[in-house]
Amino acid sequence: MGDRALGLNRGKAPAPAVSVLGRNWAFFFLLLTLVVFSFTGKNFFALNNFQNIVHLATTSLLLACAETFVIITGGIDLSVGFVLGLSAVSASSTMQVLYAAHWSATASILVGIGVGLVSSLACGLAAGILVSRYRVPPFIATLGTQGIAIGVTYHICGGFPVWYLPPGLTDIGNAYLLYIHPRTGAWSFFARPASVAANQIKELVRVFPMSFFLIIVFLVVLWHLLKNTKFGQHTYAIGGSMDASVRAGINTRRHLALIYVLSAFLAGIAGIVDLFQTGTGNFTTFGAQLELFAIAAVIIGGASLMGGKGRVLASAVGVLLLKVLENGLNLSGVEPFYRYIAVGLILIVAVVIDQLFPDLF
Amino acid sequence: MTSMAGRAGFTSFIGQRWAVLFLVVELAFFSFLAGGFFALNGVQIVLFYSTTLALLATGETLVIVTGGIDLSVGFVMGFASVVSAKLSGGFTDRGLPPDVSLLLAILITLAIGLLPGLVNGILVARLKVPPFLATFSVQGITYGISLLLTGGSAAVNVPNLANVIGNGYFIYLVPGRGISFFAAPAVTPGTTVIDIIPTMVVVTVVFVAIVAFILKRTRFGRHTYAIGGNIDAAIRAGINTSRHLVMIYVISSFLATLSGIIYMMEYVSGKSDAGSSFMLDSIVAVVIGGASLFGGTGTVWRTILGVLILSVLEMGLKMMGVQTFDKYIAVGVILIFAVLIDQFFPELIHKED
Repeated sequence: MGDRALGLNRGKAPAPAVSVLGRNWAFFFLLLTLVVFSFTGKNFFALNNFQNIVHLATTSLLLACAETFVIITGGIDLSVGFVLGLSAVSASSTMQVLYAAHWSATASILVGIGVGLVSSLACGLAAGILVSRYRVPPFIATLGTQGIAIGVTYHICGGFPVWYLPPGLTDIGNAYLLYIHPRTGAWSFFARPASVAANQIKELVRVFPMSFFLIIVFLVVLWHLLKNTKFGQHTYAIGGSMDASVRAGINTRRHLALIYVLSAFLAGIAGIVDLFQTGTGNFTTFGAQLELFAIAAVIIGGASLMGGKGRVLASAVGVLLLKVLENGLNLSGVEPFYRYIAVGLILIVAVVIDQLFPDLF
Repeated sequence: MTSMAGRAGFTSFIGQRWAVLFLVVELAFFSFLAGGFFALNGVQIVLFYSTTLALLATGETLVIVTGGIDLSVGFVMGFASVVSAKLSGGFTDRGLPPDVSLLLAILITLAIGLLPGLVNGILVARLKVPPFLATFSVQGITYGISLLLTGGSAAVNVPNLANVIGNGYFIYLVPGRGISFFAAPAVTPGTTVIDIIPTMVVVTVVFVAIVAFILKRTRFGRHTYAIGGNIDAAIRAGINTSRHLVMIYVISSFLATLSGIIYMMEYVSGKSDAGSSFMLDSIVAVVIGGASLFGGTGTVWRTILGVLILSVLEMGLKMMGVQTFDKYIAVGVILIFAVLIDQFFPELIHKED
């Protein structure tokens, strides 16, 4: 990638008067879809459904956060989806082996998590060094690490999900903060009240999935990192103009490497989350296109592939918008095949409205 | 481009051809290590396999030169394979002769195939939607429609004529007896017939050459580079950028459609996800060819080199009996090395920038 390309920033700064609304069209559109689906979708407007949407969006949210940092620097990370799979598979295989070797469940789970995260960090470090030190275009570098991640993943799991894991993974991953049984008034934290029998589970009201905690912590930390710290400023600076950043004395090499490490780390966390939510070490299938989904969410959030623009929370809104569209269309009785079409059409309409009426938003 | 013409000497000769060197190394490597690779058939298999990707990547080149990206090519290809398979099957079922129904199906599919590109183009050029989002949406729509058409399975009711043409060869050489074009000669079973150049490769080469010519030699091509270099300057220079961008996306979609039709002829079926793995590959081929995703650079013939590098790698590893997932490691490592070598020895293989 030439210096010219890195220095290029075609994004136009929005006029101050319209900026607040204009930068948040995705957010308003999200609100609109929520209202519409509340009327059309069966059981859409329900605590359970909203909790489900966010719960199931946890991994996508983490991937979109990862992609946000990379895209702000003007790069792209194609590997996140498969790093997720690598992390999940290597973590679960470790757990499986250790647990079979009579380690305690806790110890094998903790070591497994460690192995999963280290494997993802290795991918990130490789991509980061290639991009920052050897100036390999991010597209190629992350495509390379993606290929390596796919290969290693399939070597570990042989093309099958990893089973026979220590018990309790899904109990943690799918736990809720509060369980209430309205009929008897029984309630408890973190697990079903002992007085509620298994056949009464359907009557339980579950509030605040634990995955909320995780994603809220990550969103707040990453938002703070990008908005209020020197690290964040430098990230925008590099995306705005590489040359200027170098002249301003930013250690751009180290910074870029860190960005890709951070991206892979978040993808690794997403893999661990997936493992805890499903109780299975799932590899990422070839056609999954998780990275495309994440990049699309980031761009819906107002980032530009040219770099220099992007916000963590806006990317999160992008993810939620896509997830709510899928969920709402599903609950409104739209058949799966039509859903692809509908999501595409609605996205187009939303973006076009945003472009046609900049003053409206 | 002018900067290419301005450089002289050996380094520049190599510099513009590092991808060629890499391809030669690859060919030599597989000729030694993969049994049957260095043979007329091995080469033809690679070319045959490259046809669909080559067309997608050629369209992608145009889009990337303008600074855009077209994510929809893969599913437009699948869509075209489904539509052409359905139509040709449907026409034959209604009593039309196979040749007429195939021709009709191809023509109608080519016409329908312009639509996704038109939508992309209008969204990007007139409504200023970011290309990534526009084509991401259109890819979902075309995928949904082709799933609806097929009900999620493959469309296989294709007349056998498609197979005959799609897997036919340009030249059939019967040693000592003569040659025939396009149609296999009627000879007694057991006679050696040497098949030379698959017909679909000829079709691909023709279309790729036309696009290459347009991009390199015509005003349309110069405007394409101008838009990718600096769209504001292009507008001030009086280029109708909006119309031009629409055309670019339509051409890309047209080539993807053609690619889908060729897929249908080669594999005698239409599948909604026929091109899903090719979408990324097509962009990779363009990037290996030295184009920047920021626009302004890239040529068709370098993209074709990228396509060949990918296809030779894929087929070579397959012929060596490397496992599917090991292939991903190999492709990843080799891609990185190819670029690293380029970075470490800039004098040896300096790219134009």
